[in-house]
Amino acid sequence: MKGLVFTEFLEMVEERFGYGVVDQLLTKSDLPSRGIYTAVGTYNHCEMLTLVEQLSSYTHQTVAELLRAYGQYMFKIFTRSYRQLLDRSDSAFSLFHLIQEYHSVEVRKLYPDAELPHFFVEQPAPDHLTMHYTSERKLADFAHGLIEGCLEHFGEQATVTKTNLTDDGSQVLFDIVKR
Amino acid sequence: MDDIELLKRRLAREQAARRQAEGILEQKALELYDVNIRLQHLNENLELEIQNKLTELQESEQRYRQLIESIEDIIYKISPDGYFTYISPVAEKLLGYKEHEFVGKHASYFVEQGYKGALITYYQRVLEERKSSTYYELPIIAKDGRTVWIGQTVRIIESNNEIVEMVAVARDVTARKTTELALQTTQIQLTALISSLQSGVMLETQDRQVILANGLFCDLFGISVSAQQLTGLSHTDLEALTGNPVDDPQAFKARTDELLACRQASVGTEVRLSNGRILEQDYIPILIDGMCMGHLWQYTDVTKKNTTRERIRRSEEKYRGIMNNMELGLLEVDNDQTILRAYDRFCKMIGYREDELIGQNAAKMLVPPEFIQVLSEQQQQRRLGTAGSYELQLMRKDGSRIWVLVSGVPIQDEHGAQVGSMGIHYDLTARKQLEQELATAKHLADEARQAEKQFLANMSHEIRTPLNAIIGMSHLLFDTRPTAQQQEYIEILQTSADFLHSLISDLLDMTKIEAGRIEVQSRPFDLAGLMRGTQKVFEMKLQGRPIDIDVMLDARINGDFIGDDVMLNQILTNLVGNADKFTEEGSIQISARIRKEEQNQCWIEFSVTDTGVGIPTEKLGLVFQKFKQVNPQGHKHKGTGLGLAITKELVEIQGGTIQVKSRVGEGSVFTFILPFTRSATQSAPVPVPELSPVPMMEWRLGHVLVVEDNTMNQKYIGSLLNKWGISYTLAPDGMQAIEVCRQHKFDLILMDIQMPVLDGYEATVAIRSTRNPNQHVPIIALTASAMLDHKNIALAAGMDDFLTKPFDPPKLLALLRQYTPAELPDANPSVPIALGLDWRHLHDMYGPDLSTASEMFELFLNDIVPEINRLNDLCTAHDWAEVARLAHKLKPTFSMVGLTELEAKMAQIERSASQNSNSELVVIYCSDIIKHTNEAIPLLKNELQKLAQP
Repeated sequence: MKGLVFTEFLEMVEERFGYGVVDQLLTKSDLPSRGIYTAVGTYNHCEMLTLVEQLSSYTHQTVAELLRAYGQYMFKIFTRSYRQLLDRSDSAFSLFHLIQEYHSVEVRKLYPDAELPHFFVEQPAPDHLTMHYTSERKLADFAHGLIEGCLEHFGEQATVTKTNLTDDGSQVLFDIVKR
Repeated sequence: MDDIELLKRRLAREQAARRQAEGILEQKALELYDVNIRLQHLNENLELEIQNKLTELQESEQRYRQLIESIEDIIYKISPDGYFTYISPVAEKLLGYKEHEFVGKHASYFVEQGYKGALITYYQRVLEERKSSTYYELPIIAKDGRTVWIGQTVRIIESNNEIVEMVAVARDVTARKTTELALQTTQIQLTALISSLQSGVMLETQDRQVILANGLFCDLFGISVSAQQLTGLSHTDLEALTGNPVDDPQAFKARTDELLACRQASVGTEVRLSNGRILEQDYIPILIDGMCMGHLWQYTDVTKKNTTRERIRRSEEKYRGIMNNMELGLLEVDNDQTILRAYDRFCKMIGYREDELIGQNAAKMLVPPEFIQVLSEQQQQRRLGTAGSYELQLMRKDGSRIWVLVSGVPIQDEHGAQVGSMGIHYDLTARKQLEQELATAKHLADEARQAEKQFLANMSHEIRTPLNAIIGMSHLLFDTRPTAQQQEYIEILQTSADFLHSLISDLLDMTKIEAGRIEVQSRPFDLAGLMRGTQKVFEMKLQGRPIDIDVMLDARINGDFIGDDVMLNQILTNLVGNADKFTEEGSIQISARIRKEEQNQCWIEFSVTDTGVGIPTEKLGLVFQKFKQVNPQGHKHKGTGLGLAITKELVEIQGGTIQVKSRVGEGSVFTFILPFTRSATQSAPVPVPELSPVPMMEWRLGHVLVVEDNTMNQKYIGSLLNKWGISYTLAPDGMQAIEVCRQHKFDLILMDIQMPVLDGYEATVAIRSTRNPNQHVPIIALTASAMLDHKNIALAAGMDDFLTKPFDPPKLLALLRQYTPAELPDANPSVPIALGLDWRHLHDMYGPDLSTASEMFELFLNDIVPEINRLNDLCTAHDWAEVARLAHKLKPTFSMVGLTELEAKMAQIERSASQNSNSELVVIYCSDIIKHTNEAIPLLKNELQKLAQP
């Protein structure tokens, strides 16, 4: 998992709970990286789960809630880092379509060693979009947050229904209906 | 404190992270540098490489160009839309066009008309299918007009997945193509030939793989696949396909192996198939320079030919067997009579073995010299192509002779030319002997029959001659004023003589019929009149008996019919006579009706019905048999028993039939049917016989010569002629007759046939052929012979008619009347001829007063006749006044005795004499009246005799 995910997560924890909580998470968790993350590095994704679980025990929020909140936070980070990409879209749905094309081709060029999730987008109606999410990392809640962040960014109202297609959460269907 | 610790831990983490990131970035920078360096190197090398490759390419292109230009093949490039972009210079050498003439032109431009479309299609396919390399042949019209066949291999050149051009290598294949075309033509011709052959043909390679076969081959062997599909099959494959295998596969295989081993052409091997067909197999090895290159098998279906041959062979065997068993000796010779073949039966017949006969001349060896002529005549017939049968003798080996019946038939070859003949011999020797014996026997029998006939003729003559005298004399006896007693005796005498006469006549008739001497005449006659005549005759005969005789005629029977009236009369007379014999009382009916009439042919059914004793049924079959008399209760009837047999013969001679029905006690019906034709002309009515029994002198015969040797006959004829007032001269034989004929002229000659010195025929011939006054005088034959042939001889000798003895006076009278000279010495033809007595006048004058009549007749005969004769003397004295006075006195007396017509003559004399106008005429009238008076004397005497009777 890219280092950016870890650094931004710790930024969000520090922003919400203070660096003390960040220090506790890093100290209490027995991490192979010993909690030293740089955005250009690459780390085991299990460390992220460990960190979220530690945070959950501290905040008494569920892992899912925390990941979803992180997704929403992360989209804001993306709006800063990938401005030129977002500017090519005028709506959340068009962005989802763009991501499907861009993500699979361009991200792979940049990070040939990354294990990327797979999206499959369909739009049965102008105000209705489905997204099929497949990932061994099982971070559908993170994706959920990203979707909600995106809708918020474009100022759009939509109901996002998440349905687990498998018990382990490796395949999930998002049903997005505009309001 | 905690915050410081926390910050320290944070700083340590940040520093560690920074160092980690710096490390990572340093590593990335190094990697980037390396890559950059490699890229730089690559770029430099690439330029050099390109330079080298370009040089290499130029060299290669140069090499290829030289190569292309040096080779005979044309190389050209075509754009995907089909236009030449390049063509090698060799094209000019081959086709005469320069490169610039090609470039820019479409590929189809130079192609021969008719092939352009195919070429375009070809290129389209190449482009569509993107086949890297294809081969195609096409004809190009060269610049000089020749057709050059080009074979091209086309490759497509692709760049960036698109076809940019096509490169072709082409060469002149004209020679090969021409050969190929010729070969193809030959092959088509051969294929057509083979498939149209009337034989199944199969050609195989040396190791027995099928090269070709035709349809008939498949048909013959029942191969269900087509002939083309057989190509390439091995002979075992072929056997597996065979639907009609050979009958004996082992023998067939052995024979095939033998043929293949010998490699000698073989024809006509018979192969029988399991389906019954018979094939003829021909084998021809295909040898090229002594090497066997294959095998040709030919099969012809000869089933029909075989069957026909077999049938012919069997038929030939059958007929030869029949011939041999029929005891017919067959001998085959060529046109020179050289024996080609002698069959067993002939050898047995003639006693030679076949090998002794073959090659010998049949005529010289077997035919006796006297039969050579017969043979050569027959031989000529054979040469004309006609068959014929003849009899001749042949000489056997042992020298004996046999009679054979030879049936000779010409033998022709297949072109119709005669190559010889076949003689079929039947041994006739035994038959010939029998024939000889039969001929002898027949000769003897003929002689005997002739003798018998002669005897019968002689006897009839011998019997008739005295009988004639008896009948004749009995007639004359009536004129001798016999007493009643004598009259009765004479009548019995006459009846007996008549009966005897009829017996003899019947016998002679039968003899005539049996000898076939009866000829059916055809002349018109009045049928109805004839029947009434028969009725009249029998009415007279049946006078005083209680029997009526009636005639019933079909109304359609009118006019004349043509047929033999004499025969019909005899038939009716016989039947009515027969009915008369067996009928005591009642009636006899004669009827005639038309049964059938078609065109002129008219079938008339006659029947004679009586109410007599009848004939028992069981005897009905006998009535028409000769010499059979059906005589119930020993009936008194007598006769020869020939009457009905003769009747039947007479009916049948005329093509008719007769039958009888009868019932005992009721009567009999004889019915016969005869064919007649209706006559277009009307004949003179049949004179109904005059009831008056006395004939009259009604002709003017001057003088008759009677030639007769028999004194009784002389007397009979003389008496009759005297009676009728006819003067005659007698000659006892032919010689004297000729003598008398030289001196005197006669009006008629009655000539007997059988006479001493010179017979009647010879005398007639002499009279007719020598110059004498009687050369053309009528001669009537008198003979006892009733034979028809005698009549013919008489006519041939020059006689005019024929009278069979014994004859009745009326018969002679009729003949005399017939031959009366036509011319009379009468100057006045209008004067009617005195024709007998005027009965009506006599009846008017005397009525029942016969005594007065008798007196008058006696007076006339005794006193008047001498007075009439005085006229002659008065004429001589030219005393015409006395003639006139006498004529006046005599005139009324004629009518008193019924000579009414002479009274008129006398009146004429009186008139002529008193006028004294023509004395000569008066003389003629007087002599005429004297002659007539004298002629009437016998008549008057006869009448007087009757009147004198009580």
